[in-house]
Formats: sequence, C-alpha cells, structure tokens
Amino acid sequence: MLDLRSHRRRLTLLFTLPALLALTGCSKVSGLGFDEGLSSVNDISLSLWQGAWITAGVVGVFTLILIIWPAIFHRAKASKGEFPKQTQYNVPVEIAYTIIPLIIVAILFYYTAIKETKIVEKTTAPAHEISVNGFQWSWQFGYAEAGEKAVVTGTPAAPPVLYVPLGEKVRYTINSTDVVHGFWIPAFMIQMQNLPGVTNQLEFTANKLGTFPGRCNILCGRNHSQMLFSVKVVTPEQYQNYLETLKASVA
Amino acid sequence: MTTYAERPTISAIPPLPPQKGKNFVKWVTSTDHKTIGYLYLMTSFAWFLIAGLLALILRVELARPGMQFVSNEQYNQVFTMHGTIMLLMFATPLFVGFANVIMPLQIGAADVAFPRLNMLSYWLYLFGGIMAFGGFLAPGGAASFGWTAYAPLANSTYSPGIGGDLWVMGLAISGLGTILGGVNFITTIFTMRAPGMTMFRMSIFSWNVLLTSILVLLAFPPLAAALLGLESDRLFGSHIFDPANGGAMLWQHLFWFFGHPEVYILALPFFGIATEILPVFSRKPIFGYKGLIAATIAISALSVAVWAHHMFASGQVLLPFFSFMTFLIGVPTGVKFFNWIGTMWRGHVTFETPMLWVMGFLVTFLFGGLTGIILASPPLDFAVSASYFVVAHFHYVLFGTVVFAMFAGFYFWWPKFTGRMLNERLGKIHFWTLFFGFHLTFLIQHWLGIKGFPRRYADYLPTDGFTFMNTVSTIGSFLLALSMIPFAINIWITRKSPLVETDDPWGYGSSLEWATSCPPPRHNFLSMPRIRSERPAFDLHHPHIKTEGH
Repeated sequence: MLDLRSHRRRLTLLFTLPALLALTGCSKVSGLGFDEGLSSVNDISLSLWQGAWITAGVVGVFTLILIIWPAIFHRAKASKGEFPKQTQYNVPVEIAYTIIPLIIVAILFYYTAIKETKIVEKTTAPAHEISVNGFQWSWQFGYAEAGEKAVVTGTPAAPPVLYVPLGEKVRYTINSTDVVHGFWIPAFMIQMQNLPGVTNQLEFTANKLGTFPGRCNILCGRNHSQMLFSVKVVTPEQYQNYLETLKASVA
Repeated sequence: MTTYAERPTISAIPPLPPQKGKNFVKWVTSTDHKTIGYLYLMTSFAWFLIAGLLALILRVELARPGMQFVSNEQYNQVFTMHGTIMLLMFATPLFVGFANVIMPLQIGAADVAFPRLNMLSYWLYLFGGIMAFGGFLAPGGAASFGWTAYAPLANSTYSPGIGGDLWVMGLAISGLGTILGGVNFITTIFTMRAPGMTMFRMSIFSWNVLLTSILVLLAFPPLAAALLGLESDRLFGSHIFDPANGGAMLWQHLFWFFGHPEVYILALPFFGIATEILPVFSRKPIFGYKGLIAATIAISALSVAVWAHHMFASGQVLLPFFSFMTFLIGVPTGVKFFNWIGTMWRGHVTFETPMLWVMGFLVTFLFGGLTGIILASPPLDFAVSASYFVVAHFHYVLFGTVVFAMFAGFYFWWPKFTGRMLNERLGKIHFWTLFFGFHLTFLIQHWLGIKGFPRRYADYLPTDGFTFMNTVSTIGSFLLALSMIPFAINIWITRKSPLVETDDPWGYGSSLEWATSCPPPRHNFLSMPRIRSERPAFDLHHPHIKTEGH
C-alpha cells in the first residue's frame, strides 16, 4: 500500500513539473531571439515561433523527465530480485502515445498553414517594387519606380544598401544571374532563394526605422561569406528622396 | 622368410614459418561477413577521424573573425569534404559494417546471401572514398561546392577542376557499393533466417537493417542518376542541370529525394542499436515490439515524402504538403521514444558503458528532434533555414544518433567482436568527455543561427556579434576531439585482457548473437537454439522467465 502511494506521488510530480515550468515561462514570453514589430513577417511568425518553442519545451521537459526517471528510480537492486516483471505490451498506453503526438502536430500544422499562406500571399498592386538580383559575389538592387536604369550594385568589399520605406508594402522580385543565392534578412524572419532561370516574388513591409544586416545564405562559391548587404528602413519621404537621387545619378 | 620394414615414425608436422602478410591476405580475400564487417567498421571509423580533423580546421578558422589559417577556397573544400565524408564515407558504411557483423548472427544465418558481392561492395566503397578525398591532391584542390553540390555551382563553369570530377565519380562508385550492400541485406533477411526465426521474432536491429536497405534502394539510384548527369554536364557539356532548362530546381529535387531518405538510412540502424541495448540493461523485453516495428515502417514510408522541406525557401515547392508530411514523421519518432522509455520503465536498470551511451543518444536526439519540429514549419524555416540553427539541428540529430549509438554498439558488441571486454572506467571517461564536448560545441550554434550567422561562411565581421559564441563552440570541439584519446587507450590496454569465455558476457542478452561464442566461429553457430520468441538467447539462458502483458 505504501509502495503504491509513493508511486502515485511520483506520478503526480511527473505530470505537474513540466506544467509548472511551462507556466513560469509563460508569464512574459520573450521573442526568443527575434524582435517584435520589425516587419510584417515578424508580426505573422513570431507568435508561432514562441508557441512552437513552448510546445517543444513542454514536450521536451516531459520526455526528458520520463527518460531520467527510470534511470534514477528503476535501478537494479539486490533487494528487488534479479528480474522485474517482463511487461511487453500495454495497448492503452501505446494508443495514447501515438494519438497525443498526432494531436500536437495537427495543432502546430493548423497554425503553420494559416501563417505560411499569409507570408507568401501576393497583393495585386503593391506600393513599391524592388528587384533583388544575386551574383557572384554581391547584390544588385533595382528600383523600377526610379526608372529601369536605377540599380545599385555592390561588391564583396563594399556591400550595397537596400533602401526600404517604413510601413509600406514592397514586392521583391528575386533573381540570380549565375548560381543559387539566398536572400536572407535574419531580423525580419524571412529569406528566399535567388534561383537562376526562375523568378521568385516575395512581399513584406518593414515596420521599424533602422539598419539591419542581410546575408547570402546559400553557398555560392569562393566569396560566399562576403556576399553581405544591409537593409536601411527609412521614412516614405526619405525613400522618395532616395529614388530621386537615384534617378538623377543615372540620368 | 618374411621381412618387414620398421614402421616409419611420422614426426609432427612442423608449423609453417610465419609468413609476412598472411593475415593481410586473409583479410582482403575474405568472404566472411564478420571480417568484411570489421573492414567496414575500421575504414568508416578512420574516415570519422579524418573528417573530425577537417571539422577542427573549420572550428579553428571560425574561432575569431578574419581569415587566419586557410583561404576562403580552402575553407569551402574542407567543409565540403567534412560533410561528404561524415555522411557517405563514415555514417552510411558504418551502418553496412554493423549490419554485416551483427545481422546474420541475429537471424541465425551462416553468412550473407552474396558473400563475394559483399566484398566487392567494400572495395567499391573504399576506392570511391579515396577517389573523392584524393581531390585534395589535385591541382585546384578538392570539391568545394558543398556536399549538396547545388546546380549550377557544381558545373564546370563555376567549379572547374579535376577535384570536382573525382568527387562526383567517387560518390557514384561508393554509392554503387552501398546499393549492392542493400541488395545483399534484403536477400539475406528474406531467405536465410534460421528455422523458427519468423519476421516477428526478428530483433529490432535486423528489422531496421531491412528497412534501411529498402530505403537505400529507393534513395541511392536517384543519387547515382543525378551524379552521372552532373558528370555528363561537367565532362561532355550536356545541359541536364542547365538553369535555362530548370536545372537549378531539378538538382535540388533529385538531390533531396536522395538526401532525406539518407537521413533515415543513417538514423534507423542506430535506433536499432539503441533498441538492442536498452532491454539488456533493463532486464526486460522491448516495450511495444510490434508497435515499434510499425513506427519504423511508418518512418521509412514517410521519409520518401518529405524531401522538399529542405527547399522551403526555394519558393518553388508546395509548402503545406511537405510541411504536414514532415510534422507527421515526428509521430512515429515520438512513438519510438516511448518504446525506449517503456523498456526502461520499472525495469532493473544498470549503467554499464553501452547503456550510458544510449542515454546520451536519447537526450541528444530528443533535442535534435524538437528543433526538427520547429524547422518543419515553413514560417519558422524562413527565419532560420540555412543558418547555424540548421547546422546545430542536424548535428544533434546525426551525431546524437550515429556517433552515440556507434560507441554504444562498440562497447556492447566488443566482446562479440574480439572476445574481450573494453574497460568500463575509460569507457565512462570517454562518454562524459564526448558528451560535454558535443553539447558545448553545438548547443550554442542554435543561438548563432537565430542571430543570423549563415552556414558555410568562412568568416564574419567583428561587429556581427558572433565572436564569443564561435569561440565557445571551438573550445567545445576540442574537448570533443580529446574524447577520442580515452577510447584509443581503451582499445590498446584491453587488447590482451582475458577472454570472456561465455556466450553472453552482459548476462541478459536477447537476440541470437548472444547464443554463440565470443567471437563466433567461422560459420557463426555450432548449434542453433530453439527460436520461439523475439528473445531466443534470453529464453535459452533464463528459461524460467516469461513475458507478460499481451
């Protein structure tokens, strides 16, 4: 009887501990490495990032406890005799540990599907269009609004700056002239491959003034690690001024 | 008068004078699955050490910003060969090695179905590997386009030089060896099981060898086709992977159609090793044996339908389908965890070295699996794909499975291989050094990725804020490398330790390899025990113990 009770106490502890850990973590969820409100993608993805980590944390801690528990409490002892009960199957438990993970991933997929649709969505008339062309080993940004010739080309030694208007949606047309590159702005939680022979499109809005690093993240040859750029988010007026100076400089 | 001759006295035949190279000839001409298996294990372990040294070059270079030791081009060659060797010269043949030695013993066969083909596979693997690695001696150096060899970077315009050709053809040749190995194992399991060894009495390791071999037959031929196409582009100027014909995406699809099942080709046999060890040191049967087999079949089936999750950021794949399939594969993987936990649950658990390594595997692979669930979601993948987060994730998954389970298997089956036990104390020092070294190296790389450090970067800026984390990771990698020293000492000092003189030195072995001597005779069994459950050796040694809970 005593044995049973201590076993039950252990079980209660087993189930409450992860829940407690999750609750203490929930009181104020940080961005877990990402900042809120930097871009329209952050607005969509950050809550999923936090939710997925909380789920992973709860599942992880629970499973970890289940792994360590028998390692500590179910050790062989001379007093227990040589052999334990030779349990081989427990169908209700087996069904439970198949169904519960299935429900967890179904919920994660539900939010994933909603959010990924929003991220890749394309509006009919975006406010601005910028072309992002990758080449070995830098970037060329084209601002169609300032004319066909309004392009800014970087070099590995002098990475280019991508000017983006604050709070206005931009459609990026993503291309490559040689090998595959990766257009990645880590702080904005977004990336897309620059594929030769294929045109990719992506739309998002930058929502905070400032300069953010961007990097090529698909291996593209010798100077891959020099294929950097920065994103400069400016007010719409400053953006218009920038387009004017571009227009003037190429004219 | 009869005469008779003196009966001639025949002196004992004098022993042949020791011949130089006799053992060498015996080894290289052997058709014994065990000898071939040892060749595979030793060769793949040598590649593990070589690729580990390459990894140290990468870590040393990344410890501080700026280029200190190698050039950009050399850095690209080193990580390309590190990845190629670790996956295709170390982990894949390591599976073939364990499968060769252990699987025929576990099913009660005298050898594999095609012993000579087995040796041919080994030679294809050995020379294919040397060929790819030999690129370092070529003018212009080894292949430098990453182990993924994305088109068009890997063509002759962007990656000229014989090193790339040696890489492509070396992999094609060693891949053929792997395919033939798969054929051999499938045939062996289907046709050479001992009387009484039904499919549902077969050990989980042998089951996983079967399913892995089926995956090999699904995954390696597309890789061979892709590689030969790439070589045709490089050498004859064909346009198979020409971006103008959609070649950039064609390569990604073909490569990952191989690449993702490959991950499970590397994982399943090592799950199998863990599953062999847990019951022995819990003194219980595997919990949920049939459910575990069902889960492994589900993983194998799903693993050929998830390849495009490597290409979420290409903008060219159906995100919801591949995301859902990837999430789904987490379910049978989770089931396996509960099978392993259930095996230990209320068992009589002891922590000999093999069991310690299995615990290291469980903890490490758990974390790798959880970050895999994060990456399965395209919105989250868009944030961290192709960064050090992914590098950390797949090292947790692959190192956690392959290396931890490899050492678990070495310590567990060492007496079966050699007749001698490895030293327990050194084994534990080895484990804890490697465990801390591994986590110190790779845990912090998750944060590096989230903070924006892309994979395959030779360098970063002092202002990027990556320096401290990279330095920590480098320190960890040296601790990890140091852990090989106690293992080497262990092998050396136990080389003449007393023979175990028993079939089952661990005392609670389940599968059939523990019902024959250590090491087994040439054709494995002098007598075959009755096989009436999935634990024939256990039934033989502990006939009074019955299983419960059907």
